[in-house]
Amino acid sequence: MSPRHYTAVPPRQAALLRLTTAIAAARDESELYQSVVSGLHDEGLGYSVVAILLVDEVSGDRVLQAAFGWPDVPPGFRLPPGQGLSERALADGRTYYTPDVRNESSYRATRVSGSEVDVPLRVDDHTIGVLVVESAETDAFADEDLEILEAAALQASIAIGRARLLETERRRADERKALLDTVAQLSGDLELSRVLESVLERAVTLLRVTGGEVAIYEEETQEMLVVASKSIGKESIGTRLKVGEGAMGTVARTLEPLIIPSYHEWLGQSGQYSDTMVHSVMAAPLLIGRRLVGALALLHSDPTRVFDEDDLRRLNMFAPPAAIAIENARLYTVARRERQYLETLVFNIPVAIVTLDRNDNVASCNPRFEELFGYTRTEAMGRNLDDLVTDETTRAEALAYTQQANAKRQSVHGMGQRRRKDGAPVDVEILAVPILMDDEQVGLVALYHDVTELLHARRDAEAANTAKSHFLASMSHELRTPLNAIIGYSEMLQEEVEEMGHAEHAADLQKVQTAGRHLLALINDILDLSKIEAGKMQLHLEDFALRPMIEDVLSTAAPLVKRNDNRISVECPPDAGTMHADLTKVRQMLLNLLSNAAKFTKGGGITLTVERENDAGSGEEMVVFTVADSGIGMSPEQMDRLFEAFSQAEASTTSKYGGTGLGLAITRRFCTMMGGDVQVQSEPGKGSAFTIRLPARVNRSV
Amino acid sequence: MPRILLVEDNEMNRDMLSRRLIRKGYEIVVAVDGKQGVDMAIEGGYDLILMDMSLPEIDGWEATRQVRAHPKGQSVPIIALTAHAMAGDREKALAAGCNDYDTKPIELPRLLEKIETLLKGSPA
Repeated sequence: MSPRHYTAVPPRQAALLRLTTAIAAARDESELYQSVVSGLHDEGLGYSVVAILLVDEVSGDRVLQAAFGWPDVPPGFRLPPGQGLSERALADGRTYYTPDVRNESSYRATRVSGSEVDVPLRVDDHTIGVLVVESAETDAFADEDLEILEAAALQASIAIGRARLLETERRRADERKALLDTVAQLSGDLELSRVLESVLERAVTLLRVTGGEVAIYEEETQEMLVVASKSIGKESIGTRLKVGEGAMGTVARTLEPLIIPSYHEWLGQSGQYSDTMVHSVMAAPLLIGRRLVGALALLHSDPTRVFDEDDLRRLNMFAPPAAIAIENARLYTVARRERQYLETLVFNIPVAIVTLDRNDNVASCNPRFEELFGYTRTEAMGRNLDDLVTDETTRAEALAYTQQANAKRQSVHGMGQRRRKDGAPVDVEILAVPILMDDEQVGLVALYHDVTELLHARRDAEAANTAKSHFLASMSHELRTPLNAIIGYSEMLQEEVEEMGHAEHAADLQKVQTAGRHLLALINDILDLSKIEAGKMQLHLEDFALRPMIEDVLSTAAPLVKRNDNRISVECPPDAGTMHADLTKVRQMLLNLLSNAAKFTKGGGITLTVERENDAGSGEEMVVFTVADSGIGMSPEQMDRLFEAFSQAEASTTSKYGGTGLGLAITRRFCTMMGGDVQVQSEPGKGSAFTIRLPARVNRSV
Repeated sequence: MPRILLVEDNEMNRDMLSRRLIRKGYEIVVAVDGKQGVDMAIEGGYDLILMDMSLPEIDGWEATRQVRAHPKGQSVPIIALTAHAMAGDREKALAAGCNDYDTKPIELPRLLEKIETLLKGSPA
């Protein structure tokens, strides 16, 4: 096997190859520049002084990026325009060789001061900097050196171009990612100031600015309120700007973005920023459609930095997410306030509230529920409500409520007794309401109002009322006995004095008797009302013929009717038939109405009508009695109180017209007891018509 | 002269009613409670009994039942006197065996009419 032969590579070419490899391996621009200067200094190439300067686009200065052999030059060293030989290469993009620098007036003297080569670095036909190689000796560079340096510069230029392209791409990717992150955060986090701070943070980082601010527009005050601020030289959160004031106030008015190259020379500046390091400013309105919701501003405090169209383009990327964040936060705040309002309401309301899911298990409950039933929220959650608050005796009833609310999708209201966790009963008023969302039932809300005290109070009140009725009933009885004696003796005396011919005493005794009978009527009516209210009034139902009953009533009422010169006419068909009711009470009611009509009519007409008809609603056969008169009538106000006890139109009425004022109250109660009603129609001066409607066959269970 | 037994516990009512009826030509014998009323009624000799319903010892309804339960008390007319015209009172009275009833305070013409009707209808 023959040995392999290697051709030796000349040392300078090998060095150039190492340089190329190093350039290709560089990870960023600064490493790249370092590789170039190190590679040219490499022992194979051996250039003792090497430097790379790049042009700062703003100032036009050449700024040192990397150097070798310039020990006295500080990092960030700048060569302003008009200084140094390297400017020539920048001007026309060509390589310059200066064999003896000392002959050149523009040469900036260094320790080296021999000969110098300046090779432009060009990216996309644009000179971005210069490679400077110097020697302490004059005439130190040959043509071969120039070729090597141009080749190195070309490779460096290509690498720089590629690195910058990569950087741009990376930055674009960063922007997209920032945007995506922002949007992601918007949907995930609605805490407005944090979102806006984060938007601002990203904008500041991405645009490499000193700082910035975000303000929201308050419609009530028509002011811009700063809610996020970063590195502007003062704490500006809470600052308010009127529309038209400062950069954000201006974009709030114009709704157009704005670049201000020098803030402190700008006429629109706000005094609130006079003590900051703001140099140049860029601001954009935050809009939802054409509606202003806020503004975003970024600033440079470095006087050498200004904003351009590309910055504005990037700023505009942040505007929509910031605007959406503000709008979402506003909507969220509104929704949250409503929710908090409802929660507060439910939390504080003195009614036990529990919501159930579709399976009638507890989904939530309020503190009053915990208090009323003795279960903590944790204990109640997920449990079947009826298991918690009912026992064997009330379970079926509770289940019926739930099922009724679920099946009919309607509220169910009732009273009942439920059981606490400790077994104690509790009287509650219950309201079960189905929860419908978009016509779909998603659950049930049940409300429990503790009525234990209410029931006790009612029982007490009922007991007191019963006691009162008993008292009245027994008092009435006790009153009647002596009254009977007064009436009886006065009547007897009247008979005796008439027989003895003392007519003058007879008239006085007649007055005693009349007053006594009036008092008796009052007592009897009070006794009736007391019995009705104590629930002691009973119905004695019997069949009776209408016609004889009417004739009986008429004969009783005849003296009353005659007293005021009234005429009475009766419309009752001979075949009026029978009814099944409480005869005494029907008679008493008709007498009441007739005696009222006779009392309040003078020299007029009274009509008693009896008809049969079928109830419009139930179809039940009814007997209708109407007593109409042509008397003094009543106003609507008088009619309102007509059927209440002791409510003759005026207090004076009783003294003027007589009567107890209780007749109509009793009539209405009797009607109700028999499943009928009494109604009145009247006009002042034109008379009144009372109508009693009773079922032809009164049902005892009414 | 028709002989009437008046069973009435209240002294004034008893005095008043008996005096008025005596003036109208009746002979009046009084009993002051239900028990005495029953005892006297079944001894016999009365053309009619006026029976108050609210009496001490035994009330008017019970007294009427006891009179009616006795062989000697089955035919004598009895008028119940009630304090207040309630349908229940009337039915109870008739159910207990009274022939008629009237309410207090007594309206004498009305009561006399009822008395006369019953006396005429009586076989005695």
